[in-house]
Order: sequence, then structure tokens, then C-alpha cells
Amino acid sequence: MAANTSEIKIRVGFGDSFRDLTVRIAEGDVPPYEPGTRFDVIGAAAPRLDAEAKVTGSARFTYDQNLPGLLHGKILRCPHPNANVKSVDLTAARAMPGVKAAISFPEVFRTEAVRFAWEGIAAVAAESEAQAEAALRAIAVEYEVLPFCVTREDAMKDGAPQVGRRNQQNVRRIYPEIPFTRDGTIDEKKEAARQVEMREAEAKVDRILKESDTVVQGTFYTQVQTHSPLETHGVVCTWENESLVCYCSTQATFAVRHELTHHQGPVRATNARVLCEYVGGGFGAKFGAGREGVAGALLAKAAGRPVKVMLDRREEHTTTGNRPDSHQVLAMAVAKTGEIRALRARSWGTAGTSPAGAGAHNDVMYELGEIDKIEYGVRTNANDARPLRAPGFPQGVFALEAMMDIAAASIGMDPIEFRKKNDAHPVRRAEYDIACERIGWAAKRGAPAVPRGGADGGRGVGPLRRGVGCASSLWFASGGGGAKVLVRVHKNGTVEVRNGAQDIGTGTRTILGMVVAEELGIRLADVATFIGDTNDPAGPGSGGSTTAPTLTPAARVAAHRAKRQLLDAVARAEGWDAGNLDLRGGKVVGRDGAALAREIDFRAACGLIAEDQIEVLGERPVLDKDHPNYGGLADTNAGVQCAEVEVDVETGLVRVLKVVAVADAGKLINPKLAESQVRGGVIQGVSYALYERRIMDRIEGRMVNADFEFYKILGAVDCPEIEVVLLDVFMGHNNTHVMGLGEPPVVATAAAVANAVAHAIGVRIHSLPITPRKVLAALAGEEVRG
Amino acid sequence: MTTGSEREDKGSAQSGVTRRAFLKGAGLSAAAAAGIAAGTGVLDSALAATPPLQVVGPGRRPITLNVNGSERRLEVEPSATLLDVVRGQLDLIGAKRVCDRGSCGACTMLVDGRPINSCTYLAIDAEGKRVTTVEGLAAPGAPLTRLQQAFIECDALQCGFCTPGMVMACTALLARNPSPARPEIAAAIAGNLCRCGTYQNIFEAVELAARRGAGGGR
Repeated sequence: MAANTSEIKIRVGFGDSFRDLTVRIAEGDVPPYEPGTRFDVIGAAAPRLDAEAKVTGSARFTYDQNLPGLLHGKILRCPHPNANVKSVDLTAARAMPGVKAAISFPEVFRTEAVRFAWEGIAAVAAESEAQAEAALRAIAVEYEVLPFCVTREDAMKDGAPQVGRRNQQNVRRIYPEIPFTRDGTIDEKKEAARQVEMREAEAKVDRILKESDTVVQGTFYTQVQTHSPLETHGVVCTWENESLVCYCSTQATFAVRHELTHHQGPVRATNARVLCEYVGGGFGAKFGAGREGVAGALLAKAAGRPVKVMLDRREEHTTTGNRPDSHQVLAMAVAKTGEIRALRARSWGTAGTSPAGAGAHNDVMYELGEIDKIEYGVRTNANDARPLRAPGFPQGVFALEAMMDIAAASIGMDPIEFRKKNDAHPVRRAEYDIACERIGWAAKRGAPAVPRGGADGGRGVGPLRRGVGCASSLWFASGGGGAKVLVRVHKNGTVEVRNGAQDIGTGTRTILGMVVAEELGIRLADVATFIGDTNDPAGPGSGGSTTAPTLTPAARVAAHRAKRQLLDAVARAEGWDAGNLDLRGGKVVGRDGAALAREIDFRAACGLIAEDQIEVLGERPVLDKDHPNYGGLADTNAGVQCAEVEVDVETGLVRVLKVVAVADAGKLINPKLAESQVRGGVIQGVSYALYERRIMDRIEGRMVNADFEFYKILGAVDCPEIEVVLLDVFMGHNNTHVMGLGEPPVVATAAAVANAVAHAIGVRIHSLPITPRKVLAALAGEEVRG
Repeated sequence: MTTGSEREDKGSAQSGVTRRAFLKGAGLSAAAAAGIAAGTGVLDSALAATPPLQVVGPGRRPITLNVNGSERRLEVEPSATLLDVVRGQLDLIGAKRVCDRGSCGACTMLVDGRPINSCTYLAIDAEGKRVTTVEGLAAPGAPLTRLQQAFIECDALQCGFCTPGMVMACTALLARNPSPARPEIAAAIAGNLCRCGTYQNIFEAVELAARRGAGGGR
């Protein structure tokens, strides 16, 4: 695509503030919706299309696939955090009752290294789960057990056991990135140049810190968080000759298909169909088939029968990724007038056996002046990172927003005034005021901490102290290319929308249907939407909040072209000019929406189609490979959250009473589903702030709390009141103005909660989660890190 | 973080495999058993009142389960959970195995109208009782319950994996308390985890259903 673009004028903005913008759009694209358009379907709070299936229990997830002749696959796990597998003997296991197939992982994955406890070693498929488990116990494995370290602190000590193999060191700089040559060695020349740049940035910021009116500093720690989707990772696989059918609990059907058919991969299916009509949560952990998926495919092939491999809760916690922890040291130079002059950031994070993904985004959002930032990833003998809803952001923003409050206090400025002073984002600037008003910022920040006489004279009663805090967010998702949506308008008036990507609970299926219904002037109920099948057109993985902004423009293009073809058919039959026709309210109408001399409803119009159906495969328009989208109101979307907490200073228990979340994600296709997304993000943010933490046993090297009793995720009784305010923004970027809303709402929450706690009790807790122990320690003038 | 839910404890006299019987049958030494008993006092008298130990298994055993109003003859391992039997043999797949130890509520079913975690409830213990799964609330094609309808309208679900368990826990709540206050709703689903974060929508759905006079009906 790309070469052919045309210049058009669009209007961008929100509320009552809009402006013209000249942009280039790709050939075949449709101009974006205009502000003031009267929508019939878009903007309505339609129930999600799969809601009925979900409340009746008929929604069949991967875990629910009961195929005839189904075998059950189980995986043998390594108890050692660091080891080399010398041998795996499957002979006895294969002879166990009910066992139909067995595979050895070192053979399949061509590596003998095991670098975290609970890594897979072998897998068996048997008639029952119990038989499979019994067979696992019959597998003989010989290990060379190696020393290990499972915490960041231990891995960074002099003489710490080496986590990786060959020349992999435990600590590696990940930002600025180390330049590597093609053969995997460091490009020394480029690295030398980078070192010079780093020293220059350091010197520059040194100078500003020395000359600045005020310098504030802080050290922050965050914990490892696991994704904890309720449906664990897993597959149900069945073969028809060389062709694999794989039901997979995934957020990237096509990536799984690619993995299972790759000519160098362990499965190498000639053809594969990946199915995922429903997925029980992913949050970033489910982008690939995983070893369990490969095992399912290979066991099914070996047994000649369908095999189900679903991980159990312990496997899910310990082998499917996590949000890395962090240790962040920040310094900020601030002028008396409130401008931030410079930020210095050093951070270390452990993402398990690979240093990748351990960064903390603590230099974002605000006009921060000169920045000197270096990040290190630390290898530990623990499971690797995978993207977890806004990877790198909740941890970085927790530290940055704490610094914002500390800096504001140091110059005697209100925290929100201070943020506004250093924030140029047009949407976020408006959002601060809304958030302030809804949480009652002025009154609550102004009230004394201890009550004067009555219960409502201050910010607390007895041992309970209340406080409010604020934090903001940003995200980048305007979607990209590579996706296609198929729209079929049948002669009998039915409409079919197809895309092979998945709906991970965000409402993708529903908003696809809504965009098509809007374009065709019909009701959502008149559109049948099919997703989650790689035999349908290509779609994106649901990561980075890109699904909605990638698919809705493609759906609109497809529906628009289908509409024009339908109107051509009508015009031919009636002798009208197709250019003067449109579809609206289930009828053919004039271009201006006016009724026509002869009324033709949608179904009658479809009857005029010459063939059996109109079929349009609409491709996601992109400008060019590097710039999929055109200009807009701002590069990023925004968001501001305010939290109110109540802290019991005798027990240390923190309760989040209320969170106001002001959010935007471009144009809102379905505000009800958008609100649900935001509420969910806030809940995960509060859960991260107060409860969740992977605990590693340093002696045994295993995760101690790999369950749902001791790995705490927020429950109903801890759920705060969440007030969501959504801004409908005509953003530009693409023809629907849609941006994603998966990640944004989780970015600010933990930071806002932490700032509210600091306001409530007058001392700051520098580490997450904010447990009662840390609150009591902080009140006693001590600091607890972990 | 959740507090204790209002689930029925498992075990019953039906199969004879109660927790008390298990303590005896598991060959605890008299001293140890006495130690426990001395510590609780309650257990002491409970032990005395326990019916004679009945051995179940090994091997499959025929049972009849009343599931969603119909009698189903099945053969089950004595160790099989109600969840696995209902899912595996009856293909009623609404209830989910998520934590497999009674800490998340995704497997919630009703036994004689009371919510239980079917992942920690033996199938043989459900004999002679009425088992209701989410599929039993509204037959295919029949109208949904007011609660289910309210779940849809309030968007009280995202990925949908916890939803059947939530619906069952809330159905039981409305049957015993037709107009619950919000803390009562939260307590009723305190044993049900949702990772997508639909709790507030569920509160709203239960309140909507209560306003429309749900009480568990249509």
C-alpha cells in the first residue's frame, strides 16, 4: 500500500473545542468521522454480543472443548531452579495404564538448560488426568543441579551464581540499548559512541541538579506481578492428516498459527487452523502457543487422538510470564516557579532468565527537561517477563508520580497545579479539572488530617486517616496495518462480518459489528460477527491496545465499499444516481438522509444484488510501513485518576474508597464497554498497589504463593467505588478516530493510590504492594522494601 | 484479597466420607486425634456422633445425580469431584476449574439451593441432592432469569470465565435475600474472583435484578 495518498482536511478535538487539520490519507481509505455526525449505532451502550453465551454458560472456551476420544496431557515440571537435564527416560511412563503418548522437552525444544523451577521437562497424554499424572511420576530424569539465585538482590551480588549460559551476565544494560552485531556480539564501536552520549547526558543533568533551586530524590521498589488470567494457558489439539486444528486460549490466533506451522519450529504442521472464540483473560501473557501448546500438538499427533493440555494454577503462576519488579532511583530538579528542569533515573528490574522487558517507564508524560536515564535488566532463576497490561508503565509511573508529589511539596505547590504546569497534553489538561472536581480535591486536600471534633471535620475518624492522590497516564495505540475484515451482504438481507483475531473480553466482536452496522445503516442485531478463527481474514494480536484501532478502520473500509456496491445495485435497478444515495435507519435514503420518492428498505435493496452476495475484503489502510496512521490532535491518548483512601494507623490496613478515572481513547464506539475496560484497569491497578506479589523462596528457589489463596488478587469486598468519566475524542490517526483502551486505565492507578496513602498518613511508602506491615513501619519511621 | 465466602462445607453423611470419618479412617494415632479433639472440644463430640465408617471404592461406582432437574445415572470414581463429573460426563461446561482448591468460586454450583465450590465437592456426596448448574437456570431458547438479563444489561462480564460462578453465587443470594445491600452482595461473591474487574458491574446487576423482583425467578 502507501504510495498513493491524498490530502484531506479533517476536524479533530473534543468537548466544544475542535480544529481543522490537514492530513494525508491512503488511497482506498474513508475520511474519518466528522464531529457533529449523528450516529445511530456508534456511541450506544449496546450489550456485548457474546453476553448471553457468557451468562448462560454456553460460551465454549478452549478449556471446555470436549472432543470425542479426548486424551488429557500433563507436563512434568523441574523442581530445580537451575539445572542441566542429562537424560529423560520415558520408557516406564509409556507403559503406564492409559498412556497413549509421551514426549521429552529437551528433545523437542533442543535445549538441556532449565533455568527456573517448574520449567517443563516432558509431557504425556493419557485417557484420564489421573493416569497422566501417575505417568509423570514414572518418568526418570537425571539432572546436573546448578547453584541459583531467584531475587534481584542476590543476582547482583559479587560472585552470584550465573543464571544464563555461555557469556550471559546477570546484569545487562537495557536502556540505552546495547548495540549488537549480527553474530550476537556487542558492536564495540557503536557502544563506545553510546557511552559518550550517556556521559554527556549525565554531565548535563549533573549541572542542572547543581544549579537548580530545588532537587528532590527518591528510591522506589515494585514487586513481581503475575497475569493470573482465570483461564490458564492451554490447547486442545487434533490432527487431520498433516493438518492441525488447535483450540488455543490465546490473544494472538495468527501468531499461534505461525508458531505451529513454522518450518523450523518443533511442530511444523503443513496447515493449521487456530480457533479461539472465547478466551478467559490474557492480559499480555497469551501471545504464543507456548511449550504447553507445542506439547499438545505433538502429543495429539503421536497418539492419533485429540489431546487437551491446560495448565494448572501453579503452572500458570510460575511458567507463563509476569510483570518484572523494579528498583528505581530518581532525582528531579525543579524551579521555584514549578517547571521541571531535569530528571535522572537509574533502574534495575528482574524479568527472570532474560533481561528483556525489565524497564520501568519513569520518564514519560510530563515536560521533564533534560533526561539522564539508564536501565538495567537483571537475570534471575525465575520465570521470564511477558507483557502485562501496559508493560513497564505502572511501575515507572508509580515512581515518577511519587516524585511529582514530592517535588510539588518541596516548592509548596498543589500537586495537580504542579502537574498542569508541566503537562502539555491538550486532553489531559482538561482531565485534571474533571478528576479534581469529581473527587472533591480542593476540600479534601485542604482538610486537616485529624478530625476536629466531629466525624466530618477532617480526613478521618479515630485511627482512620483519609487522603486523596492523583496520577496520570498516557498510551500510544492508534493501530497498524496487516489486518483485513471481510463483510458479506447476502441477497436475503443478512450481513456477515469476519475477522480471525480474538476478543479477550474487551468487546472486539461487538465494536466490529457496530462499526459495520453504522456504515450500512442497520441495527447491530442485523449483523452476525465471527471472530477467533484463523481460516478468516488476518487480524492482530491483542497487545498494546491495538486491536480496536487496527480492526475498526478495516471494518469501516469493508462496510463502506459493500455499501457503495449495494447502492450501485439499487441505482441500476431504479435508474437513480448512486452518488446521491446512502443507507440509514434500515432504508435507502438520499445523500442528505432525506427520504426518497420510493421507499426501499435494506432487505429489499439486498434483493437487487445481481450475484448471491456482495463480498468485500477491506484492508486496514496505512500510509506507509513506518507510519501506519495520519496526524491527529495529539500523538498519545491521556487519562487522569484520583484515588481516595482510608488508612487504619493502628492495623496498617489500607482501603481504597473511591477512584475517579477520567479516560479517553479517541472515539468511543461503545461507551458501556469502554467504561468496563476502565473499571477493570482500575481494579487491577488497586490490586497491584495493595495485594499482589510473587514471593520467591530463596532457599528452594521456587514461588511460594503460586495459588489464589496467598497470591492475592482484589476481591469484591475490596472493590472501591469507581467513577469513570469518558471523553469522546475525535483524535484523527485513522478513519474511526479509535484508540485502544486496554492498557491506559491501569497505568495511573497504583501511583494515585500510593500518593493518596502518603497524603493520608503523612509519610510515604516507597514500595509496592502497600501492605499493613509497610504502613506500620513507615509510621514508625522505618522503611520496608520487599 | 477476599474474606471467607458463604460456601457450604464439603462432606456429608451420604457417602460416609466426611472430614470426621476421614480423620478416623486415615489412621491418625489416638494421641494425635485426642490432641486435635482436646484443642477444639467440638470435634470431640463430633467424632463420637460419627456414623460407622463406610468404605467407598476403589473403582468406579454407579450413582444417580439430580442435575438441573433430571436424574442422571453415572459411573464415577469415588474421588471424582462434582465439577469434573458434571463437566466431563454431562458436558455441562459453564462451571470452570480455575484454582482447583475452593479459593476462586469459578466452579460454583448450587446443591439444594446453596452455593458450593464443586471443585472440592465429591460427586458421590451430591447423590440424593438437587444440583443446579448455570445451564439449569434457563433452558436453551427459554427466557433468561432476571439476574442473567441484568448481567447482560449492566455488562457484568468481560472475558466471561468467572461469569457462570458469579451468576450462581448471585442467584443463591437473591433466593435468600431478595433485596441485598451492596456489602451483602460483596460478601456473597467474596469467594468468587474476577480478574478482568467486573465486580462493580456485578453489584449493579444484582441491584437491578432485585429492583425488578428477581428472587431467583424469571
